[in-house]
Formats: sequence, C-alpha cells, structure tokens
Amino acid sequence: MTASVLPWLGGGVVALAAGFLAALLPRRRARAQGRRVAWSSARAAIHDATVSRDASPTAVPEAERLLARAEMLAAARGGADAARAAAEHARRADELWRAGR
Amino acid sequence: MTAPKLPVRRELVRWSLLAAAAAVLVVFLGAQRQSVEVSYGRSPSAGALPQEGSAGELSDASVPSVEEMTALVAAEPVVRLPGAVARWDEQRVRAAIGDRGTRILVAPPGLDEAERRRVKDVENAEIRIVGTEVSGGLYVASPDDLPGWRARFATRDVTSSLLTLLATLHDQPTPPDRDDLRWREPTGPELAPMVAALRATGRYVGPGATLTKLPEKAASSAFPDGAWFVVLPAQPYGEPLPAYGPALHRLAPDQPLLVMYGDWIEYHGPSAAEFAEVAGASFYAQFGSRLGRYAYPQQNVLATYLGQVTDVRYAGLFDRPLPYRPFDPLRVALPALPWIFAACVAGFVALSIRTVRGSGRRPADVGPGGTPARLAGLSALAVELSLLTDARTDPALVRGVGRLRAARDALGEGLPDRHVRELLADAAAELDDVARDVRMPGYRPDVYLRARLS
Repeated sequence: MTASVLPWLGGGVVALAAGFLAALLPRRRARAQGRRVAWSSARAAIHDATVSRDASPTAVPEAERLLARAEMLAAARGGADAARAAAEHARRADELWRAGR
Repeated sequence: MTAPKLPVRRELVRWSLLAAAAAVLVVFLGAQRQSVEVSYGRSPSAGALPQEGSAGELSDASVPSVEEMTALVAAEPVVRLPGAVARWDEQRVRAAIGDRGTRILVAPPGLDEAERRRVKDVENAEIRIVGTEVSGGLYVASPDDLPGWRARFATRDVTSSLLTLLATLHDQPTPPDRDDLRWREPTGPELAPMVAALRATGRYVGPGATLTKLPEKAASSAFPDGAWFVVLPAQPYGEPLPAYGPALHRLAPDQPLLVMYGDWIEYHGPSAAEFAEVAGASFYAQFGSRLGRYAYPQQNVLATYLGQVTDVRYAGLFDRPLPYRPFDPLRVALPALPWIFAACVAGFVALSIRTVRGSGRRPADVGPGGTPARLAGLSALAVELSLLTDARTDPALVRGVGRLRAARDALGEGLPDRHVRELLADAAAELDDVARDVRMPGYRPDVYLRARLS
C-alpha cells in the first residue's frame, strides 16, 4: 500500500515544487535585474550631476542638498525604489546646476 | 524570429504535461473503487440467498414465553420444544457435561428474530440450540469441514458442535472431530422407483421432501447438459444413510447426479473430483449458519447451491477454459499509470528547469547594428571630440563619457539590452550637443556612426 502510494505522493510533491520554483525563480531574477538596472541609471544620473556641479560657476545649495541625498541613498544600496528616488534627486540637482550656470 | 516562438511551444508542452499528470492521477484514483461483488467471467448465478423472511425460511413453529421456557429448563436438564430437530449422541454429551448440570434448550428451526431473542433470554439454559445452530455464552459452535456439515445437514447431528462448545465453555481442550455418519448400500426396492423416475424425468423427489419445483434456470446454468436430481428429506439420526449417490453413479457413470439429504447436497458424476469439494465447501462455509438456523425449503437451498456450482464453473476451475474478457484499456493501463505519471512529472520538471534557466540570459545582438558596435563607435567619437572641446563643452563631453562608461558596465553585467541602449542614447545626445557646439557636423553621432558602421 505505502510502496504503491509513494510514486504518486513523491511525484505530486516534485511537480508542485517544480511549478513553484519555475514561477518564483524568474520573478526573483527579474526583480534583481530591475534593481540593478535602476542603480545603473541612478549612478549615471549622479555622475551627470557631479559633472554639472564641477562645471557650474556658482554654488547652488539646493542642488548640493539634493545630490548629497542622492549619494547617501546610493551609499546605502537600497532597492529599486531607492535607486529611482536617488536618480530623481540627481536629475533635479543636475537641472538646477545647469540652470544656475 | 524563431526565438520567441520556441519558449511558447515549450511552455505549452510543459503545462500539458502537468495536465496529463493530473489526469492520470484522477484516473488512477477513480479506478481504486473496491467492491465485494466478485463475479468471475460474468457468472449468471443469482448470487446470495435473499433477505431474511423472503425465501420461506421462517417456519410455523414458535416458542413459549421466556418464563414458561425458564420453568421448563429448570424442571429438566434437556428441554426439546415442539418442532426441535437437532439430535446428538447423548452418551458422549452427558459424559462431557459430567456433574456440572449444564442445561440445554432445543428450539425448532425457522424462528424469527423476536422468537430467537426469547430463546436467548432463557437465562438458565446454558446451551441453546435453534434448528442446528448451537450457541452458549458468547459462542456459536459450527462445523468447519465437509463431514461436519454433512452430519449437521443430512441427519441434524450436532454432537461435535455441542462437545466443542462444552469444552470451550469449561476451558477444556477441544475434542477432535469424529465422523460418526455411517453409510449402507441401498436395497433394490429402494433403488428401483428412483431409477425409474430418474430415467423418465431426471428427478426423484422422495416422500417428505420439501422441494415442490426444481429451480430450472439455476439447474440449466449449473449443468447445461442436464443432471439427475434426487431430493430426500433429512435422514433419521443414528441410522446408516443409504448411499444412493455411489449406487446411481455406478448405473450411469456419465450422468451428473445431485443427491440431497435434507439440506445436504452431494454431487456424483463427471469431474466430481475437481469441483464437488470446492462447490460444497464454499456453499456450506458461506450459507451453513443460515441453513442451520432457518428452515429453508429445499428448492431454495438447491437453487443457491446450483448458483455456487455456476460460479465455480465460470471460475474456470473445471471443465471449461478461462472465459474471454473483453479488452479493457483501464485494466491494461492501470499498472503503467504510476510510470506515466512519473514520466509526466519528470518532463514537467525538466521543462521547468529549462524555462528557469532560459529566462536568464539572452545573447546580445552582435553585428554592425548591435549594441556593442554602437558603444564602440560612440567611444571612438568621444575620443575624437575630446581633442576639440573647451571649457564650455567639456561638461557635456564628460557627461557623455560617463554615460558610455555606465553603458559599458551595464553591458558587462548582462543587463537588458534596452537599458544599455537608453544609456547609449543619452551619451549620443550629449555628444551631439558637443559636436554642434564645436561646429563639426561630421562628428554628430548619427552621421559619424553611419559612416563608420556601414
């Protein structure tokens, strides 16, 4: 009885686990990739902002503050949302410096 | 173009494998029904005896009230109520009882449930016999082999059951079964009318037999070639039985012959060695207790016995090859179902692994229009532009170079192509600004890349 039930039970468990993993792993991978993409954009935006700051003849305290916050977020290495927030801060700082030039 | 199509087909196969596994599981579970109905080769026999009271097994006999019976039992050690049929070897039973004073109440067969309950309520009767069913205390004693059943049903001899029950009630070793039945050769005047009737109609019903009508349908399915039936009432206890079976069998060796003494049925004739014991033992093992307790008319007993013979015949135990069974795909596939299920699961797992691994990396588009080529072209453009810039255009160039570096990192990390192209587009926009500012139309990225990459 038990021996004949084993293939069914084992097969069912294996199929369930396979389906679960097949759904979970790509999702996790996509999330990790989204995070890396967001950080890649954020780092590029911060770099832009630092270049604009160095080129700017005048000091813009608001932009300094925004860039500092963006760099702090980048240093803390958060998730995709933190990356997007950092990119947004950096972009606004960049605009402020370019406008202040 | 085939690249996005293949995973779709793989997904389809993957989920259909899972559906197949589930379907196989459902089919397997559905096939697990178990039934007590076992009919080998679709035997046409009617099956078991019908419900209580519907087959004429209740006799007209009744029993007095519990108080009357108690008084009767108190007066005498053995009380035989009117209609009681059970007999036993009184000497042996008395010896077994010894001086214990065990009292025995003997009731007629065919009592209904209320009457049997009244018999059971007689508390001073240690042993109660209803018909030929011997019970006492928590026990019911019944024979378990053919000689035991033969004694019980042919002559209503319950000696061995009584002795077994007495030994059990008094915690003594059970005495060995003894076959006390004696046979004698039938006389010529006894045989003559029997042979004449059998040769004329194929049946002989002795005086006192309760068979009124032969169960023709059961007889024809049990013995398609016809058989002789000799039906006699139960024989008196203590006298040798006339052995009609062997005598008639000698007269007509090829003729199947059933001899019925009371509720005891014997077969003589062809294939007797192969199935008579099987049929008799299975019949009396299954119905013995009911036959002893009730007073079935002999034709009902005979019909049920013939049904048993039909079952044995259809079981292919004698005289007949195994019956043809139509092809049943489920029965054939049942042993393979676990393997099919396992294969479906394995396929599903394998395709799941392929899906998980396949979703990770996509090969970059290598070629003149590809992302790496564009990155290389823009990098070269940045190097050339760097010779022409001044303090006004430097920041845009540095930003463009920064974007290019980010694009290179992203490409190296295997980030999606779309993201790399966005970074490259930003870099191109910066470099475009630089080229316009330094007034070099040939260095505008569109023009420059078109010239270099084509």
